[in-house]
Amino acid sequence: MTPTVSASGLSLHYGATRALDDVSLRLTPGVTGLLGPNGAGKTTLLRVLATAVPADRGAFTVLGHDPGSARGRQEVRRRLGYLPQTPGFHPDFTAFEFVDYVAILKELTDRGARHREVRRVLEEVDLGDVRGRRIKKLSGGMRQRVALAAALVGDPGFLVLDEPTVGLDPEQRMRFRELIARAGEGRTVLLSTHQTEDVAMLCHRVLVMASGAVRFDGTPAELTARAAGRVWSSTQRDPGAKAGWRTGTGTFRNVGEPPAGAELLEPTLQDGYLLTLDGAGATEVAA
Amino acid sequence: MSIENTWHVAEDDLRAYARGELAAPLLWSADAHLTSCARCRGVLAGVSDVAALDAGWERLDAELDAPRPGWFEGLLVRLGVADHTARLLAATPVLRRSWLGAVVSVLVTTFVIAVSSRAAHSPTLFLAFTPLLPLAGVALSYGPGLDPTYEMAVVSPTHGFRLLMIRTVAVLAAGLGLNGLATLALPDYGLRALAWLLPALALTASGLALTPRLGPVLAPSAVGGAWVAVLLAANAAQPGADATLAPFTAAGQGVSGAVAALGAGLLFLFRDRFDVFPRGAA
Repeated sequence: MTPTVSASGLSLHYGATRALDDVSLRLTPGVTGLLGPNGAGKTTLLRVLATAVPADRGAFTVLGHDPGSARGRQEVRRRLGYLPQTPGFHPDFTAFEFVDYVAILKELTDRGARHREVRRVLEEVDLGDVRGRRIKKLSGGMRQRVALAAALVGDPGFLVLDEPTVGLDPEQRMRFRELIARAGEGRTVLLSTHQTEDVAMLCHRVLVMASGAVRFDGTPAELTARAAGRVWSSTQRDPGAKAGWRTGTGTFRNVGEPPAGAELLEPTLQDGYLLTLDGAGATEVAA
Repeated sequence: MSIENTWHVAEDDLRAYARGELAAPLLWSADAHLTSCARCRGVLAGVSDVAALDAGWERLDAELDAPRPGWFEGLLVRLGVADHTARLLAATPVLRRSWLGAVVSVLVTTFVIAVSSRAAHSPTLFLAFTPLLPLAGVALSYGPGLDPTYEMAVVSPTHGFRLLMIRTVAVLAAGLGLNGLATLALPDYGLRALAWLLPALALTASGLALTPRLGPVLAPSAVGGAWVAVLLAANAAQPGADATLAPFTAAGQGVSGAVAALGAGLLFLFRDRFDVFPRGAA
C-alpha cells in the first residue's frame, strides 16, 4: 500500500536538547497511535509532520508532496487537518464562526460553499445543535469537538491529533474516540496520546517514542506480545521488576523478568508499552 | 401568521441569486426576505431551473444557520471588504473594542498633557509617543503567545505572511487613523503635528523585520526601546529648549523614511519565515 506519509531521518534540536533523533516512519490509512511519556518528542514530531516546524535534517512527504519547498508546504497544508494539544479559540466567536474562520484559512472563500462545509463538519462531530453558541459557553469536551470539526474542514487526507482526549471525563473520552474512529475511515490519522486505551480501541498501528526516537513500530497486538511471559502478580512490590504498581485488588502487577514460580498474568498493551520504555513510563501510566 | 412585505427582491437580483452570483450584503437581504415572502419565492421558482433551485434552497438553508456577523465585521463588509477577509480581520486580537478603547484613552491623555504642559508651544511629547501605538498594535496582533489560534493558522494553506499583512494593514489603518484624528486637534502646529507618521511606519516595519530573528515580543520591545533612546539622546543634544528634536526635523524625517523602506524590504525578504513557528516558540 502506498503510504500517505513517508519520513526518513527526521532530526530536530532545540539548543542542546535533541527533540527528534533520526525518526523514520511510514503512515497508511487508518488510525496510528503515537505513545510516549512527557518529553518523548511526540508533539515535536506532530508539529514537524504538520509543517509547523521544519526539521534540522531528514525529509518527508505527505500524499506525495514534499513540504521542503514553499509550494510543496502549501500543497501538504491543503490536505492536512491538525488538532493541536491545546487548541486556542477566539472566545467571542460562536462554534460556527470559529470553524468558518478556520475554513477561510483553508482557502474556502466562497461563502455559500464554505457555510455548507462548516455545517457538515459540525454535524459530523455532533455539534449541529449548538453551532450558534459562543465558544466560551461550551464545555471542555464540546470545545475539543469544535477543534476537531475545524481540523476536518475540507476533508483532509491526513489528520494529526495531538492528545485530543486529555482533560475529558470518561464519557466525553468515549464519545471522542467514536469520532476519531469515524474520522479514521478512509483517511490517515496520527493520534498522539498518553492513554494506552485509546490505542487499544482505535489504532491499527502504534509507534512508541522516547527521548526523541521511535522505540517501537508495529501493531497493538505485537506491542502486547512483547510482554508475553513477562507480567506477574505478587503480594509485595517486586524489587526485581522493571515496573510494578498496586492494582485494585491490592496485589502488585509487575513487568520485567519474572522470578521462578511467579504467577504469570495475561499481558496488556500497557505492559508491552512499559517494557518498551524499559519501565521509564511506569509512574505516568499507572497514575 | 403571514408577514406583509412592502419591499421585494428585483427580478434581476433573483436571477443572479438563482445562479449563485448575488453578492453580500444583497445576498443576505435576499436570504432573509425569501424566508418570509411567498411572492418572491414564486418569482424565484419561475426564473430558476430545478437543479439550480434545489442548490439555492440548500444555500438558503445553510445561510439561515450562519450567525449574523458582529458590528465590526458587518461594518467592514459594508465598506467593501470581502466577507472572508472581514472574518480574518474580526479575529485580529487588537481590533477589539478593548484595544481600540485603550488606544483612544492613551491618545487623549497624551494630547491633554501635551497641550497643558509648559511645552504647550511644542507637540514633542505627542510626537514622541504616538509612533509607539501602531508598533504595539501590530506586535499584539499576531504570534504564538498572542493569537489563540496561531498554531492552527500557521499550518493552514493561507501563507503566514499574507495573514500578517492583512492584519498589519488593518491595525495600521485603525492606529494611524486614530493618531490622525488626534493630530487634527493640534491645528496650531501645522504640518509639524504630522511628524509622527514616518517614525510610526519606520518603527512598525523594523519591528516586523526583526521578528523572525528576535521573536514577536523582543523585536518590537527592542525597537520601542531604541526609539526612546534616540529621543533621549536627541533631547540631550538639543541646542535650545524650543528647538525641534532631531527626529522631527526634515533630516530626521528623511532618516525615518529610509528606515521604513529598509524595514519593508527586509520584511519582504524574510516573508517565508512567517510561515512556520518562530524558533524557540515551538
